[in-house]
Amino acid sequence: MKNFTVKLTYVISLVTLTLFLVGFTWTLQNQFFSEKTTNVVVKEEMVKKDQNDQNKTIVALGDSLTRGTGDIEGKGYIGYLVEELEDKTNEKITLQNLGVKGYRSEQLVNQLQQTGVKEQLKNADLILITIGGNDLFQSGQTIMDLNLENIDRLREQYLKNLGKIIVDLRVLNKEATIFFVGLYNPFIDLNDAALMTKAVRHWNFETSELLDKHPQTVFVPTFDLFQLKVNDYLYTDKFHPNTKGYKLIAERVSSLITW
Amino acid sequence: MINLVHNEMLKIVRRKKLVYVALIIAVLVSLFTYAQFKEIERRIERVGSIDWRTTLQQQIIDTQNRLTSSGISEEWKGQLSLRIQQQQYYLDHNVNPMEPGAPTFTRTFAENSITLFLPLMVMVIAADLVSSERSAGTIKLLLTRPVKRWKILLSKYVALILSVSIIIFMYGFLSYMISGIVFGYQGWSAPILTGFTSEAGELITSSAQMIPQWQYLFMEFSLVWFVAVIVGTITFMLSVLIRSTPVGMGVMLAALISGAILSNMVSSWETAKYFFMINLDLTAYLAGNAPPIEGMTLGFSLVVLTISGLVAILISFIVFIKQDVY
Amino acid sequence: MSEVTLSVKNLRKAIGKREIIKGVNFELKRGEVFGFLGPNGAGKTTTIRMLVGLIKPTSGSIEICGYNVVTDFTKAMSYLGCIVENPEMYSYLSGWENLQHFARMLPKVDQNHIEEVVNLVRLQERIHDPVKTYSLGMRQRLGIAQALLGKPSLLILDEPTNGLDPMGIREMRSFIRYLAETEGLTVLVSSHLLSEIQLMCDRVAIITKGEIIKVDSVDNLLTLQERLIWKVCPIEKAEVILSKYTNVTKSGDEELITPFIEGETALWNKSLIENGVEVKEMNRKLPALEDLFLEMTGGESVD
Repeated sequence: MKNFTVKLTYVISLVTLTLFLVGFTWTLQNQFFSEKTTNVVVKEEMVKKDQNDQNKTIVALGDSLTRGTGDIEGKGYIGYLVEELEDKTNEKITLQNLGVKGYRSEQLVNQLQQTGVKEQLKNADLILITIGGNDLFQSGQTIMDLNLENIDRLREQYLKNLGKIIVDLRVLNKEATIFFVGLYNPFIDLNDAALMTKAVRHWNFETSELLDKHPQTVFVPTFDLFQLKVNDYLYTDKFHPNTKGYKLIAERVSSLITW
Repeated sequence: MINLVHNEMLKIVRRKKLVYVALIIAVLVSLFTYAQFKEIERRIERVGSIDWRTTLQQQIIDTQNRLTSSGISEEWKGQLSLRIQQQQYYLDHNVNPMEPGAPTFTRTFAENSITLFLPLMVMVIAADLVSSERSAGTIKLLLTRPVKRWKILLSKYVALILSVSIIIFMYGFLSYMISGIVFGYQGWSAPILTGFTSEAGELITSSAQMIPQWQYLFMEFSLVWFVAVIVGTITFMLSVLIRSTPVGMGVMLAALISGAILSNMVSSWETAKYFFMINLDLTAYLAGNAPPIEGMTLGFSLVVLTISGLVAILISFIVFIKQDVY
Repeated sequence: MSEVTLSVKNLRKAIGKREIIKGVNFELKRGEVFGFLGPNGAGKTTTIRMLVGLIKPTSGSIEICGYNVVTDFTKAMSYLGCIVENPEMYSYLSGWENLQHFARMLPKVDQNHIEEVVNLVRLQERIHDPVKTYSLGMRQRLGIAQALLGKPSLLILDEPTNGLDPMGIREMRSFIRYLAETEGLTVLVSSHLLSEIQLMCDRVAIITKGEIIKVDSVDNLLTLQERLIWKVCPIEKAEVILSKYTNVTKSGDEELITPFIEGETALWNKSLIENGVEVKEMNRKLPALEDLFLEMTGGESVD
């Protein structure tokens, strides 16, 4: 019995040693001496919708607002929105949050080129977008150096991108309703807020003009939500909404959703 | 010579060393299987989807968000963005990098344990191969036989290589068998992308190739085996040099752990790449992850490891042959 | 029977600048039991480790059955069986497996021979038990069995009775005598116990501070120092008379001590009586090696 164990160990070790030696040689050969031809082929396999097909799928695109920056619970307006909708409909909702902090409109354009993102958008029942805040405020740069000409330039660029975003979305998904959450003015309490307020209103107006050209596309204003008592609804960075602020946005969006 | 190797194997087997190693591996694999199972469960709960594309996309988004947060180092940023590019490549080519199943588990588990856990298991065998004979005093009997000293040492080394082979095999076998209970045993032919390289933070996919997972596993485990052999060789040398087994183990452990820590912070200290412990992560090259120091390649690491191994063998033999035994 | 099995010439070992073995010379012949005697730290173990090839000599030569231990290691070792200090074995293996283990390191040792050796040391009943369950005496015997496996011509045993009970010591002693007398082995035994050497060795080398200060047969050493104790009256006169012939030392008030030289003592006695000295008592005294040793090493401590 004892001898048997030793013998078995021998046999296994010799076999595995040979195996590893062969494998190692082959690996070297493969990694260093083989013809490096790109033989990667795209697997053509259509994405099947998940088993929970009956479930509604929400895809959220955009910036830190979509991410939920500033919300202590980390849910963001999307989180509260989904909770509300689930309560209302008693259905499980699948949420795909593709928001990236700091995204500007041209980055969103690029993101929409990604295969995975495309696949998810194809299957979406509802698309939510928050974008433009970083285009306009430039992480605070704009308010430091208020200049209407500059803002006009930023807006033109943004509108171009937004147009492309909506067109791209519609190519991918014709049915899903798109809700676009508009901008608020976080600096409304500061001195010379008037100019900024004007810029934001203009920005929102142009955005909603653009969206009107597309069917099933809804502009959701938030300016009024933050107009009074803005500081009650802002996070300590005085820029992102806090939990209360996100809840306000969520309430508004949810009241518009009709399933 | 066969007789001598037989003696050494007998001593390893009869001290049940391989059994202990197998037990440790089994416990750890079970632990990680459960952890991964929980992780998947949580992910499904969070994302509400088990489609890998969604999961992968979500990972990309998460990483992108991490990239924007302040206070992460440039190097780490570079690695993260390379990872994103690679994940994107997987998505673009509709290849699931984490095809569920025991083979995938085995693959990732091996990737994660090549720098620390597996070397540790090898140390269990190698650390006292010579020093235990010395502390037990049996070395006096070994060295007064009509057998040349180099033959005795060589027989021990051969036994070590054999044991290392078994350990690596057991490792693969156990992680496959145990994780398969939970994840299923399928997935041998799932496609895996390899051959990525990076240059200045950009992912280069020109030499990328798609191979079935079994081939990838085969390559991966060969590399793991090679690393284990080198670590075993160096531990072996310490066992010759240092009379006390715990001290030898301590030295080796310190080297391994410092390697793991250094890998995360030496990108600016370029000469660190000549340390053997920085070069242990061979599977990372296979998977196309960014190396700890810019410019390190599979070939480079293999050369560094080979040289370390050869030097260790040379020192072991010279010392063992010359040494006076008191 | 005068074949030389071990010849040590001008053996030296230096560690750093300190020379711990300072030129040791001796030869062992077939069938003799040779004692290696010295206090702890005298260089016994170092010398023995050089003899068995564990330590390389700084200079000098060691030949076992004509083969140099350094240059012809394997040949030399094939004529040697040894236990250096304690007979450490693999405690997790059985005695039998230990013997097999060491047999595999020798050219062609068959099962029968292992059994023979086991029978010789009378371990047959416990040989398949793990060594960790053995008593010290059994381990010592297993050690001897191991040393005898290769059918050696020379057996080197370092402190073979260390830690044994009186019964075990007696057994070991007679066993060593048996090996030398019946099997014709040369045995080198080191010890710090004089009584032991005295009882089992034919010849003895006394080593202290890295040097051999005396090599001789035990009998010779003892007779050399055999003394005669005289009880005489008047003592002063006797001293004068005896001093003409030999060295005289006075011990106490009424005793004189002279060496015992066969054939001459009768003459001295006669001379004393002729000169009117009364010889009350003449005693031959055989000294123990202990006395001898103390005398030679200048009173270094011996257990």
